[in-house]
Amino acid sequence: MGEYLSANRSGDFMALLQARGLWRKPEAVPLGQSQPAVQEAHGTTVIALKYREGVLNVGDRRATSANAIMYDRAEKILPLDDYTLIAIAGSYARAMEIVRYLQHSFKYYARTQLQEMSLEGKLAEVSRALAGNLSMALQGIGLFIPVVSAYDLERGEGRIFFYDGMGARFESVEFGAAGSGSERIRGVFDYILKTKGPFHEMTLEEALRECLLLLDIAADLDSATAGIEKVLPIARAVTAEGILDIPEEQLAQMKESLRR
Amino acid sequence: MVYTPYDFNESVRHRTEYIEERLRDGSPVAGISYEGGVLLLTLRRTQRKIFEIYDRLMFAGLGNQSDLEIIRVGAIDFAHQEGYARSPDDVTIQRVVGFAISPGIKRAFGDVLNAPFVVRALFAEMGKTPEEDLFYTLNYDGEFVPLSWAAAVAGTPEAEEQMIRQLVPEDAEGAPDLQTALRRALRAWTVGRLWAMDAHLEEEGAESLSEERIESFLREQLQDLQVEAAILDRFTKRERKFRLLKEDEILPALP
Repeated sequence: MGEYLSANRSGDFMALLQARGLWRKPEAVPLGQSQPAVQEAHGTTVIALKYREGVLNVGDRRATSANAIMYDRAEKILPLDDYTLIAIAGSYARAMEIVRYLQHSFKYYARTQLQEMSLEGKLAEVSRALAGNLSMALQGIGLFIPVVSAYDLERGEGRIFFYDGMGARFESVEFGAAGSGSERIRGVFDYILKTKGPFHEMTLEEALRECLLLLDIAADLDSATAGIEKVLPIARAVTAEGILDIPEEQLAQMKESLRR
Repeated sequence: MVYTPYDFNESVRHRTEYIEERLRDGSPVAGISYEGGVLLLTLRRTQRKIFEIYDRLMFAGLGNQSDLEIIRVGAIDFAHQEGYARSPDDVTIQRVVGFAISPGIKRAFGDVLNAPFVVRALFAEMGKTPEEDLFYTLNYDGEFVPLSWAAAVAGTPEAEEQMIRQLVPEDAEGAPDLQTALRRALRAWTVGRLWAMDAHLEEEGAESLSEERIESFLREQLQDLQVEAAILDRFTKRERKFRLLKEDEILPALP
């Protein structure tokens, strides 16, 4: 009787999409071919910092295409589910498609299997999506790098994971960052750690202040990063209570206080 | 009981009798819109009965567990592939029930070489306001009915009618709050169950359902069964709108 409806029992969303012919696997093109003429939009700088209650994510809003600024209200920090945030830098189009895939994949698993996917399972799913994207990335398009922040309910703490383009996953102790601006400010993270102490002991307010400053410095050093002046960045945190959207007023106030 | 596959009318009649007989004992499900969302309620032994289908869709039913399971997964599959390929806004109760589920159930019902689904299912979709909420009841033969404000599935069609009367009383105005909705749903469940189980009720009429009779029957049922209630929350900021109600949320509505 099942054949009249469906028979996917695994909770694997990719298997469902493949069975229905809905998974668009990027085509492999032999290396050495000329670069494709596609100009894609790129997200620039995203930062994840631990703080007392979880993990704070801040991202500037700029999307660039080659040396042109394409958009200054791009959203690069997105909830994957109630306890997981993904911050994306790099190819905007590919990142958005994979974020949409991941959101559906986690929910699909939870709904069909009647239990949440484990954090480990979610992280592996991100790896798998990145590895599936590899052939495109090798062609020079569609490469994006995510930073995944999760609140680990079992351990009762926020955790940060960053990836390389092939899907390798690393866990960070204090912070994570991705995008062109992040490369310029890598040392600043360590400077803060050594002079002000660990991020995970900071209050939300203190962590937010550091994030905005870091973004401001990134914008000074990286032409593709918008920083905080023209358009306020996006800030979201993940805590034991779920996702917390930092309101614009709070960001605006913090920005003002940094001027003094 | 001998029938040839060629006698379509006869076989449909037999199948209907067989299914109706098996459904009669099933635990009804009541669905009702309230201010803050949509509520589904039933009583069960151990198996969970109310399930999330998609962001704004949930489902419950009575009948054969494995048949319900096939419908549940079929609906989830359809909803997710549509939501991913297009947009979550394109996943509607009308498409899930009308196009994805109902035709398969109808085919199984008409296929004399296969066992039919033994189910009556209830789907609920949460809108932005209670006016926009929608319910679909789906029968074992693939027939479905869209409803607003409230819906019910029970052992017999007459029991379902009686349940609707409890869910939307004549003096009801607008959408109730959650506690009122819970009380009405619980009462509707009790009446639906009584009506399906007690063949005399139809002759005696609804007037014979006194308050005491309803309450004592519910108390009796609560000794073996437990209340399961789930909501889609209209105002939550969480990704998941679906939530099973906790015991302390249900307790105030119990007798």
